[in-house]
Order: sequence, then structure tokens, then C-alpha cells
Amino acid sequence: MSSEDRRTTSAGSTIETQAPTNGSQKAGAPVSSEAPAHPARRATDRRVADRRSMNRPLPASVLTPPAPPPAPHMDDYAAIVGQVQIDTLRFLAKELRGKTIKMVNSTAVGGGVAEMLNRLVPLLSELEVATHWDVITGGNDFFEITKAFHNALHGTPYELTKSAKDIFLTYNEQNRARMRFDEDLIVIHDPQPAGLICSKATTPAHWVWRCHIDLSNPNPGVWEFLRPFVEQYDAAIFSSQSFARQLPIPQYLFYPCIDPLSEKNKELPESLVQQICDDFGIDRTRPIVTQVSRFDRLKDPVGVVHAYKLAKKYVDCQLVLAGGGASDDPEGAAVLQEVKEAAGNDPDIIILDLPPWCAVQINAIQRASTIIVQKSLKEGFGLTVTEALWKGKPTIAGSVGGIPNQIIHKLTGVLVHSVEGCAFQIRYLLTHPEFARSIGSSGHEHVKENFLMTTNVKRWLLLFRILEQARALRGKAA
Amino acid sequence: MPETAKVAPRKPQKPFFFNTSEHLLRIGRQKANTLSELLHAMQTCPDDSIFQHTFRTLQEHHFIRQGFSNDFAHWTLFACNEPALAEQLASVDVREFTAIEGLRRRMVDMLDEFLQTENRPGSRPAYEPFYFCASDIVVLPTSFCAETLPGFLDGINQVSVHSIHHHFIEARLRLHRMSNDFSQWLEEELGLGEAADEIESIDIYANTMEGVRRQIARIVSQAMN
Repeated sequence: MSSEDRRTTSAGSTIETQAPTNGSQKAGAPVSSEAPAHPARRATDRRVADRRSMNRPLPASVLTPPAPPPAPHMDDYAAIVGQVQIDTLRFLAKELRGKTIKMVNSTAVGGGVAEMLNRLVPLLSELEVATHWDVITGGNDFFEITKAFHNALHGTPYELTKSAKDIFLTYNEQNRARMRFDEDLIVIHDPQPAGLICSKATTPAHWVWRCHIDLSNPNPGVWEFLRPFVEQYDAAIFSSQSFARQLPIPQYLFYPCIDPLSEKNKELPESLVQQICDDFGIDRTRPIVTQVSRFDRLKDPVGVVHAYKLAKKYVDCQLVLAGGGASDDPEGAAVLQEVKEAAGNDPDIIILDLPPWCAVQINAIQRASTIIVQKSLKEGFGLTVTEALWKGKPTIAGSVGGIPNQIIHKLTGVLVHSVEGCAFQIRYLLTHPEFARSIGSSGHEHVKENFLMTTNVKRWLLLFRILEQARALRGKAA
Repeated sequence: MPETAKVAPRKPQKPFFFNTSEHLLRIGRQKANTLSELLHAMQTCPDDSIFQHTFRTLQEHHFIRQGFSNDFAHWTLFACNEPALAEQLASVDVREFTAIEGLRRRMVDMLDEFLQTENRPGSRPAYEPFYFCASDIVVLPTSFCAETLPGFLDGINQVSVHSIHHHFIEARLRLHRMSNDFSQWLEEELGLGEAADEIESIDIYANTMEGVRRQIARIVSQAMN
């Protein structure tokens, strides 16, 4: 790749477009040889490639983080989910008016939990269920251990030492001594603050453990250490049925959610979508197949390139791989390099290594796409799938983690298990636009019903009411 | 199109209160990795699990017109690749039952018979497990209350599809009769038996819940004119 083709932004992010060649392309893809140019495309390939290789400056919004937009209010969601749904939330909240909730997690910024709490907490408070958010404190030693716990609970081998246990317990005790638990519902997120449950006996509150981690195959040592804490809670919440454990307490299913009013998901003016595509050299007159994900082997970006190349033998399309993580993660950089090598010199493969604040750009690329792919080999819930479905896009995804909760095969999207399956579905969806539209539309409705922030608010209110009712029944029985 | 209102409806003695039910998914203790395990779990799981995977799944997927009508049928096809059994399980209409036990018995019998007469390997592992879930339900009022037929039509048009599901599909478990709240009110309070019967015969499996709402609204509109 020539230096002209690699445009580096001041933020360290790059747009990679592949220079046109005279037909001889790099071999080495394990699945197939390079696809020949589609006959209908030969005439315009050079023009498009020439346009893409122009050294355009990136828009300022890509170079620096934009100012955060104001948080939406509950009534702002009425235009999206309908006033009746907002009324339902108000009815649900009515009996809880005056009661209070405390959410506790381990970080105020960064990560999906903090992002979710940033929206959830003000919305619950707006419904007059005052919700406080507290963050535990700890030293580097504590967070190194809890990071190791996190990986171990996902199944990574780990030797749990007495010292690690002591550090975990010491910081939990320090936080327990520092915090007050005067609220009516205490929600502890993830393992880091799980030990705060030792304060349960001192309060009349309901205590709930919200686990955002896949516990289907945990490291036994770490899980057996944490289990006695978890079993003291009144209920546990998981993001998928398959993530749960056998526990003596009720376990609820709260799907993760997206905010339809966030920068990543809000409606965008067509002119902005066009402008962003122009900035990145994406040709909207031709089909666009996109995967949005970090450059991580578990997202199988190389497999997506191979699937695209197989499909390209039959259908004209471009491939956009938009993600990040390559500039601050050595493994991400290695994966990005592998993706570039797999892409070879194909001018229709556009690789975007974007900084983390490019939510609007990702939104625009998703909206401009004809098909969205998430060919993960392992996945948590897969919120990029939720985002794609919300935008009504026909979506092809690996049948792993929480993805089957979102994609009902051939109804709200299509599930695949191989590069070849992914390639076939790209071909099929590009040549059957009615079917593609139908699954895109059902996918949008599926998200509207089950995976939006408003549904998340409803689940918290329902849980609170159910816990209150159960207590009242126990009181009567006593 | 049958005529549904030859006589003017009388004034209702009781208004129709539109309610809605909201559900919170609870993860059950049972899961099945094979058809034999599914059979055992279906025999022993709590009623609210059967409710979740039949009645409730219709509400969760109210926007889908095609596909199988309950989670057992869906899993049997996509995880076990048994289309004949899937078709049988999908043919069970939840509205034929006024109690969960009868619904459970019908499905258990189908699965049991399939495993015996078809001589199928019930122990063949499924592609993915079936996780039994259940629902905790909270019934809520809505802001709609009808004291007249036009008011009723207004409510039908404006409430959520959850409310339609609550009154039209879940109602028979509450009423313990082969009817629904809408038909019962139209017949008992307004004497509109024909409209009530027509509403009861709407096919819920060939429609989305929005489609069901539109059909109810059409029948009520005809009864008004």
C-alpha cells in the first residue's frame, strides 16, 4: 500500500482504501482466490477508486470529540415508541413514587454499563423514582484483580490466590464503610462491588445483582469465591438466558438496550449521511455491505473479507469495515494488519479505524448500508446487531452469544455459522430486496419491542414493583 | 362480509376498562439439550413457563406474521431439525384452551407420541439448548375507558398491542371460557352477539397484533353503522 493511500488523522485514526491494480491481486486468502471484477462494474471501478484515493481532509468531528448532547427527557421518546408506552411507564412508576433506587458500579465513564446508567438514572428520576448512582473506589491493585476476575468469569484460566481474595474483600469493605444504603432498592452492577451485599442485614432495602457478564462457562475458582456473595441477593439479573447460573434466588432476564436518541442511533438528515459517506469514499450508488466492530479476532473481520470476496463473484458490492481499537491496542493493530492483507488491493474494501467518539459517523455508515454483517465467533449480547436492526437493515450475524435473542433466523435477520454461509446470505439478500426489506422491518420492530432504553426503564420499574409485591405478600403471610 | 349490527346497541351498564399487562422475564431452572429432555421439562415445569413459551411469546413477537407460533415449535425446527414435529406443535392454537394444564397436556402428548412412534433418537443433542423461562406479570390500567361503542372503538384504536393481547388472548385464562374480554363486553353489555362472535373468530396466527387490532376495529365500526 502506498503512503498516499493511508490517510492518518491527527487522532491517529486512518482511512484505508485499496489502490486499484491491473488485475493481478494478492493471493493468500484461505477460502478463495480473489473475485474478478463484476462485469457491470469494470467501467466505473477506476473512477471510484480514483475518487477514493484523493487525499481529502477528514471532518473536524472525526478529529476531536464532539460536545456531548443534552440528555433526552422521557417525553422525547414518545415520538419513537408512542405516547401509550410512555403512559405505561408513568402508570408503572406511580405506585413507586417517592421510593428510591441506588445503582452502584465500578466506573463513571467508559464502558457499556456507565453509558447505560448515564441515560437510565435521569429517566427513572424523571418518573419520580429518585435514583442515585454511586461508583466504588479502589487502587490499581483492586482493579487489576477485578479485571482478572472479569476475564476468568468469561472462562480464561486464572489462579485465584489468597492475596487476590484479600484485596477484593478489603476494598469492598472500605467502600461498604464509606457508602450509605438508605434507598429502597440497591442495585449492584457486576462482580467488582458484589461484596457490598454484606450491608444487606443493616437495611430494609431489596438488593439486586445485575450481572453484565456471560457466566455460562466461568473459571470455577473465581465463581465459587463470588457465589456466596451472589446468593445473598434478593434477585439476580442476566443479559441472556444462556449467561445465567443455577442459583437459589430468582433470576431475571434484562436484555441490554440501545438509546434511540443517542448519537449512534438517532435519525440523521439524508444530507449528513451523504456527506459522511463522501468523506469516507463510500459510493452510495452501489450496494454497501458493512461490519461495525473493533479490530478483534473474535469479530472475525478477516472472515468477513473472505465472505465478501466469495459473494463478489456473483454480485456487485462494496465492503466497509468500520471500527476502532487498532491505535491503542497492540492486538487490534495486528488484527487490522491481517484485515488489510486479506483485503489485498480491492478498491471496494474500505477499512475505517475510527476514534471512539465517531458515533454519528458510525450511525451514518450503518444507515447508508444495504446489508450489515456481524460475523462474530464469540459475542456478549452484540449491541452492534441491535443498532443495525433498529435502522431497519437486513442483518447477517454469527449465531453466538446473545445474537440469537435478537435475530430470529429468516424473520428478523439471518444467522450464519461459516464464511461460506455468510457469503451466500450476502448474495441472497442483495438479489432479493423484498425479503431483505421484510426482515429489516421485522428486525426494527423486534428492537422497538424488546431492546430500547424505554423497555429497560420498564423492566426496572416492573422488577421494583414485583419485589415490593413479594415483600407485601410475605408480610401478609407472616 | 356478514352484517354484524341489525339492531341498535343498547347502552352498557358497565364501562369497558382497558387494562394492559406487562411482563418481566424470569429465567427458569430447567433447560433441554435434547427432545427427551424437552419432554421431561415440559411435563414438570411450572404453568407460568408453559404460558411464557406459548401465550406470551405471541406478544413478544407480535410484529411477525410468519414463523412458528410458539417457542417449542421454533426450537424443534431450528435447533433439532424436526420439521414434522415443529409443524404439529405449531398447530396448537392457544385459544383452544382456558387453562394451562390442557395446553401442556396437548403438547406433551404430541412430543411423547412423536418420540415413540417415529422412533426418533430423543437423545440426539440439539444445536443449542432450550432455556425455560417464565413471566412475572403486572396488570396496569390505561387512560382509556369506554362507556359507549364509539368510545370502545377509540380505545381499540389507541391502546398498546399489549393491551390488545391482554384482553383478546390472555383473557380466556382469566375468564375460563372460550371468549375474550372484548367479545364478552360487546355481547353482555351491548347485545352485539354477532360482532362478538366475529371478533372471537379472528385468526391470531395469520396476523400481526396490529392486524388483529385493525380487524377488531373494522368489526366494531360495522356494528356502529
